[in-house]
Amino acid sequence: MGLEPHLNKAMTVTIRPLGMLKTYIGELKEISVEAGLSVRETLHLIGINPDLVAGVFVNEELKTKDYILQDGDIVKLLAVIGGG
Amino acid sequence: MNGYGGSILRVNLTDGKLTKEPTPAQLAKDFIGGRGFGAYFLFKEVPKGADPLGQENKLIISTGPLSGMLAPGGGKCDWTTKSPLTGGYADASMGGHFTAELKYAGLDSIILEGVSPTPVYLFIETDKILLLDASSLWGKGAIDVEVELKHKYGEEYQVAAIGPGGENQVLYACINHDFGRQAGRGGVGAVMGSKKLKAIVLHGTKSVPVADLEGYRKAGMALYKACKDAEGLAEWSRYGTTIVTTWCNEVGALPTRNFSAGSFELADNINGQAMRNEIVITDKGCFGCPSPCGKYSNMKRYNTQVEGPEYETIGLMGSNLGIGDIQAVAEANRLADDLGIDTISAGSCIGWAMECYEKGILTKADTDGLELKFGNIDAVFALIKKIAYREGKIGNLLALGVKRAAQQVGKGSEKFAIQVKGMEQSAYATHNATAMLLAYMTCDVGAHHNRSWAITYDLQVGRDKVVPEKVARVIWLQNFRPMFDVMGSCRLQWVELGIDRDLYCPLLEAITGVKRSWQDLEAVGNRIWNLTRMYWVRENDSFGREWDLPAQRFYTDPPKTGATAGQITKFEDVQRLLDMYYDQRGWDTNGLPTQGTLETLNLTTLVT
Repeated sequence: MGLEPHLNKAMTVTIRPLGMLKTYIGELKEISVEAGLSVRETLHLIGINPDLVAGVFVNEELKTKDYILQDGDIVKLLAVIGGG
Repeated sequence: MNGYGGSILRVNLTDGKLTKEPTPAQLAKDFIGGRGFGAYFLFKEVPKGADPLGQENKLIISTGPLSGMLAPGGGKCDWTTKSPLTGGYADASMGGHFTAELKYAGLDSIILEGVSPTPVYLFIETDKILLLDASSLWGKGAIDVEVELKHKYGEEYQVAAIGPGGENQVLYACINHDFGRQAGRGGVGAVMGSKKLKAIVLHGTKSVPVADLEGYRKAGMALYKACKDAEGLAEWSRYGTTIVTTWCNEVGALPTRNFSAGSFELADNINGQAMRNEIVITDKGCFGCPSPCGKYSNMKRYNTQVEGPEYETIGLMGSNLGIGDIQAVAEANRLADDLGIDTISAGSCIGWAMECYEKGILTKADTDGLELKFGNIDAVFALIKKIAYREGKIGNLLALGVKRAAQQVGKGSEKFAIQVKGMEQSAYATHNATAMLLAYMTCDVGAHHNRSWAITYDLQVGRDKVVPEKVARVIWLQNFRPMFDVMGSCRLQWVELGIDRDLYCPLLEAITGVKRSWQDLEAVGNRIWNLTRMYWVRENDSFGREWDLPAQRFYTDPPKTGATAGQITKFEDVQRLLDMYYDQRGWDTNGLPTQGTLETLNLTTLVT
């Protein structure tokens, strides 16, 4: 199972870390993942600690990390922030 | 003086005398402004042992060199005083549009002194300054007063007002402005109420001198461009601080039922998405803000509106009270704002009372008949009113803050009074997040998050690890983040959008003509941190290590549910954190700054 960048075995999603997350994990772009994986599982696979991600936006909609990725999804990851 | 209004206004409420004096250049050099000015004036002018609610205490409102300028979020001012809640140092940062008008009135600080014999409000229209009768305003809600004064004077006049909570000197009363911004913590509203000052109305028309006009324009525009170009701006602006709710729930940091857990089964009903879908009407920003985090909300069920709730209110008035209903949380927010009490402290006090009730420590005989079970929305609304008006046994008890309330009630309730130094902890549960726990333990106003938000670092390096790097991180944040409160601008553009903090240095230099690196600014932050520490030492004979201990719950009582179930910080690790912290700060083993540290920071003359 899992992720093999750029091999397009199953489906392609675009993952974009925003703001401070880039300092932890750099820029990520298109990756290929197997169908049926959640955002949380995908984050683990690409080496991002899900606890450092505050917001998951899929095609501009706020989703939970349990969202099952679909082919062509554009996923933005917002870093944890500072509260009030 | 470039970057400054140029004057300090003293308002003696006892005799009505109003005086202006030039802002000292040396003060601007050493302490820059905002919280720095406040800490300096408090230490220097308020005598040791002053009653926080008496004649001798002062309430100091200060702008910074970025306030009212072409700086993202340059709408912050700082309200500094001796806290009636803690007996120590307090400052509360307030956004909105008040600060800019203060600067345009030519003022860097207003120092409120004495006690008025009758209710008054302060009216400032540039150089026209008056104390006016407020007897018709006394007793009214803070929002109502703002509406009334805006109607009387005009939309361009900015208003800061207290509600009944401040008048009745609830020890965590706040000051409201701009229909939903507060100087919230430490009881600054109670101090204003003790002075019989109901409101300040303000409008200024002066310009501010700038050292390098072209450099100012370029540096200011560069900062705005960085904000506008920041990836994540749209997402952040859509949800504001509430976006963190789901994340806190996931990592066990969302205060739940008086911090007995860090995850709430109804979190999805009160998170940012629920709020946006159910109650938000539009966004709202403070002066000069390119990334508005404020949200105006409409609560259909109650037919009311509020600016909010922010994450902190969702945490303390929602999950902490077992309430999974965003409309109810927003209505509690509205009540607290209008009545003028801090939602964080009020939520903590009510959560503690609910736990007391469920454990049989408090009964209906103590609660004026209220069924104080977690999740009882009507009881929460009733209690907010009782606290603000100090009504009945329970209202009077909870108006004292959770530390004093637990001391009065006893029966083991001290163990779950969630506070440090007498200030109720804000909305991050710290059963197993040692850097964040240390940040709360050592914060210079009590258990507040804004100085050092270190919980991310816990998750990066291992949440239960107790290592020098964590301590260093907490100290760095404590020296660095409050500098935004010194400069008079919002920190959220750096925190949330991740813009390069070095962009602030050329702007500050172009405005003031003084070149400062972040290393220089952090040195000022360190000096202020040690000054506020010495204030605690001066005002409390027994001050020392014991004062830095966290709420017992975090080292004795692991959550039974949620992401941190079964997890806890060992008491020996709490002590190790303090050992390392004191050592790295240059303080002795009891937590007092050493003579050598004070000399290095050039503070010896001021503090002796």
